[in-house]
Amino acid sequence: MGSHLVPTGASGAEAARRCLAELSRKSGADITGVPTISTGYGRSLIDFAEKSVTEITCHSVGVHRLNPSIRFLIDVGGQDSKVIRIGENGRPTDFELNDKCSAGTGRFLEVMARVLEVSISELGPLALKSDSPCNISSTCTVFAESEVVGRIGAGENSKDIAAGVHKAMASKITTLSKRVGVVPPICVTGGVALNPAFRHYLSEQLSAELWMPDNPQLTGALGAALLSLEP
Amino acid sequence: MFRHENYLLVTAVHVDNSFDELRIELLQQFAVGRSPARQQIRRSLQDLERCAIRAVTRERIGFRLSYVEVVEGSERHLRELLASGGTVLGYVYPHTPLELFLAHGITPSLVRTNQSVQGGFEASLQTFSCSLTRNLFSQRSSGALPPFSGLLFPTNTCDSLHNVADIWRHRFPEDKLFRLTYPAARFDEGSVQFLAEELRILSESLEETYGRALANDDLLAAVSLVNDFRNAAQTLYSCRVVDPCLVSYSELARMVREFLIVPNASTIDQISKSASAASRILGERGQLSLVKSLQKGLLTGALSHIKITVESKSPRILVTGGMIEPQAIASLFRGSTKSDNEVVVLDLLSLGFKTAFTPPVILKDDPFVAMSRSILGAPSEPTQEGLPGRLEFLRLLLSKLSVDGLVVCEQSFCDPDQFEAPSLAKVASDLDVPAVRLPMDPELSDRARLEGRIQSFLETLEGGQR
Amino acid sequence: MAEKSSGKEEKAYRPLNTQGLLEQVLFRYVLEGNAASEAGRLAWVTSGFPVEIPVAMGITATYPEQYGAVVGSQKVGPTICGFAEELGYSQELCSYARSSIGSTRKPEESPLEGLPKPQALLACNNICGTVLRWYDAISQLTGAPVFLLDTPPIEGEQQPHHVAYVRRGIEHLVEFLSSTFGVTLEEARLREVAANSTKAIGLWTKSLEACKNKPSPLNCADRFTTMAPIVTMRGAEDIIEFYQALYDEVQERVSQGVGAIRDEKIRLLWDNIPPWFSIFRFFNGLAKRGVVFPADTYTHAWSGSIEGEDLFASAATIYSNVYLNKGLQAKVDKMVQLIKDYDLDGFVMFSVRSCKRYSLGQLVSKELVTEQTGVPGVVIEGDMVDSRLFNEAQIQTRIDALLEMFQ
Repeated sequence: MGSHLVPTGASGAEAARRCLAELSRKSGADITGVPTISTGYGRSLIDFAEKSVTEITCHSVGVHRLNPSIRFLIDVGGQDSKVIRIGENGRPTDFELNDKCSAGTGRFLEVMARVLEVSISELGPLALKSDSPCNISSTCTVFAESEVVGRIGAGENSKDIAAGVHKAMASKITTLSKRVGVVPPICVTGGVALNPAFRHYLSEQLSAELWMPDNPQLTGALGAALLSLEP
Repeated sequence: MFRHENYLLVTAVHVDNSFDELRIELLQQFAVGRSPARQQIRRSLQDLERCAIRAVTRERIGFRLSYVEVVEGSERHLRELLASGGTVLGYVYPHTPLELFLAHGITPSLVRTNQSVQGGFEASLQTFSCSLTRNLFSQRSSGALPPFSGLLFPTNTCDSLHNVADIWRHRFPEDKLFRLTYPAARFDEGSVQFLAEELRILSESLEETYGRALANDDLLAAVSLVNDFRNAAQTLYSCRVVDPCLVSYSELARMVREFLIVPNASTIDQISKSASAASRILGERGQLSLVKSLQKGLLTGALSHIKITVESKSPRILVTGGMIEPQAIASLFRGSTKSDNEVVVLDLLSLGFKTAFTPPVILKDDPFVAMSRSILGAPSEPTQEGLPGRLEFLRLLLSKLSVDGLVVCEQSFCDPDQFEAPSLAKVASDLDVPAVRLPMDPELSDRARLEGRIQSFLETLEGGQR
Repeated sequence: MAEKSSGKEEKAYRPLNTQGLLEQVLFRYVLEGNAASEAGRLAWVTSGFPVEIPVAMGITATYPEQYGAVVGSQKVGPTICGFAEELGYSQELCSYARSSIGSTRKPEESPLEGLPKPQALLACNNICGTVLRWYDAISQLTGAPVFLLDTPPIEGEQQPHHVAYVRRGIEHLVEFLSSTFGVTLEEARLREVAANSTKAIGLWTKSLEACKNKPSPLNCADRFTTMAPIVTMRGAEDIIEFYQALYDEVQERVSQGVGAIRDEKIRLLWDNIPPWFSIFRFFNGLAKRGVVFPADTYTHAWSGSIEGEDLFASAATIYSNVYLNKGLQAKVDKMVQLIKDYDLDGFVMFSVRSCKRYSLGQLVSKELVTEQTGVPGVVIEGDMVDSRLFNEAQIQTRIDALLEMFQ
């Protein structure tokens, strides 16, 4: 019926209320008393939700609804990345998280985009122009940033550097995936999924095709909504 | 009084010599619930921040305080003991000969990690030092460590503890440090003799330092005391496998911890009472012989004749890990499940299960040999030989005790934990038992994410039950 | 394996002639390892293990630690370690162990197709406690049984009960090798092997000590590569020839006043395992600035010979008293001694993230060494195999700061 995204800002609960109010207005629907589930960080702060369910389950259920054939989900968000094995009933059977370290998350790309002086939406297409990506070896965002600065200083091409950055990202996600055990068909979600260079390098390293839903940032919310309808 | 999902983490950061003042720092506050309650909480917190508390008492704020509040309770016994002038020796490694210290008139007290300590190690320890050692060192640097009469460090258990003890000696030369060297090879009379000799040497150092020789009567009393604790703890552990709701895991962890911090009649009394009560209830259900049988099996490793089948609406979870504190695990599970459902059925932690299921000291001729045998008879650690045996034991537990999921904890930068974890997870996956890894540090710096991980795992298990 | 520095006519360092012979020796080591594995006579061994005993019993030894150096030198550390990380091993663990586990899991994608399959795993924890857990992990992958020779760390004098304990461990070792491989130990053969070992170590030590000369005939990169046979083929007769050849070359340099680097200005001590993936680049980069390392704690670790009436007791003593098994003060004492004996101007401590046994404590020992010798030093951070953890810019800054102190 409708969807709306707002940044969390300083108060998750406030943002959630505003979001619902806006959604109600946009869709023209009355949403009082509608079953609600909250998910994600700060889910326990949403006092008008009946219950909170983690993103692992919500993403799994959401993706399953959109494409029941998917058995493996890779979600790369702004601050963490997750890989999830989805069972036949759409529920997760296993998962792994990278939630401690910003390398391998959207933050990594944000930092690099800033250093390369492009916007986050330009970074992917820039990387795709390269056919000889640099080797960025640092696994730590802070170290990698200084590595990139070093390469710029050495006169290397920003498209090759950008490609190297995406390769490094993909490599981290690939290792995380293999820890769980990759089972195609594979889906990517999360803001970073919108980045074509990331998808390209990830697909290459996993030697598999990647399916992406039309709204990769909304699968968690979709899953939560579906779960709220369950008895 | 009202009940909420509130987390108020209050910790005493500085305690000065006269214990007159507790400066309380508010660490985190999540207030959930209806607005009036939130107002009330905010006001109480403001009051706390304003006043200096003149005695070692605390305001009961009427909502469920977590981990640290319980920690405060155990610390109180310790502080009272120190204030009264008793000789208290802090130890770090779980397999410590409590009986030996008690026989010298010394109270052995487990040095616990402090959740709120921040920094203080940077000039001495690199960041890849195990997070437990960093925490202890930081406590010492910042003056937050209780004023023990001495400290016991292990040698030949892991590289972090060994190296950090050396560093500690250089940085804090006024501290009385003792070392006990453990054999890493277990299954040998030579190991028993080696450790016995180490214990004898330690006994001589204790006498030299504190002026009191080992007294035989005290040794007998100590052996009996520690044995009582172990029996009670073993009984409780075994009862909980059959019915985890009899005693909450938090309660069990708390009682074990209180004994380890101050092993005396009162801390034993509370765990003994709890064990008796639990046994009585299960006795009424005709399950006492099962419990006894299970206790024996857990102690000896002979579990093949045991089979527990339980119909439970909550998943049954087994937790493994090294020197992670059971209290921390209890707190994380509490935070994730937000209910009183008991999901942790058994732990295999060094400061929990392995301490409880240590065989008794059987005094015959040489008391040091007897103590050595007891220590080396405890469940094997990743710091020792015997990985195949440990994995087999885990396999038996997972197959026989109706376990639905395994949580594998890994202390940050802990070699023993991190090397063992993949093998433990594999035992579970070979049996089709779902497992999740929990990388953590003593500060629980990632509390929200850890709770999220546990919650996700529990959801996975529920999904599987559909 | 040797890297050439880029494009200059006159290089800042002088390569060793013996390098060619070294390559032959190591090639033989690889061949023998493969052959022994096929014949069911191969053990993987830790670098501090009393290897004279299995060698005397006809077992061939292969060294995963040396393999780790190969993985590092071939710059595939991150990839190979990655294979272990995919199994769930943390990146915080020893990178030698991770390379070993990774290459055991995927030998076809590893240098030299990995190490040949072992029939036994022999670990002695005199170098660190990690080896037991590492070899336990390998045992899970290969099915080969582990034997642990437990040499608990010593402080000061080794106590009699400690010698007795280790000695008994050696007796168990012999029993284990007998039952695993169906071989026996002859005392005469053990004396022979021990004598070979002693001879080779003696020659090696003479080469090391020749570096007291100015200019130093060897830089540490030279020593790091030429130490390989003393680690991996200790007890074999063949390596005596190699170390003689090395010593001959060293003596020739000394007599002609020729140094390992062309322009020796600053003499420093190196502490810890080197960054294998950058070993020539790093040290030759410094060579260009006149910096040489006549001594280091890593190559000085192999010394001591098994001899006397009771060979087992002798082994128990020698192998318990190694540098890494004696605590912080002993490390400081050794470094102070090297600085004085080799007349060094300062020191560089490499804080290897992977190696807690070696590295934890450097922040304190740095202060103590400067206090006791008066010379300045610097601590730089990185890893020996995992190049992802090596930040060149940070390291250069710190080294530059140290070198500025000598101007």
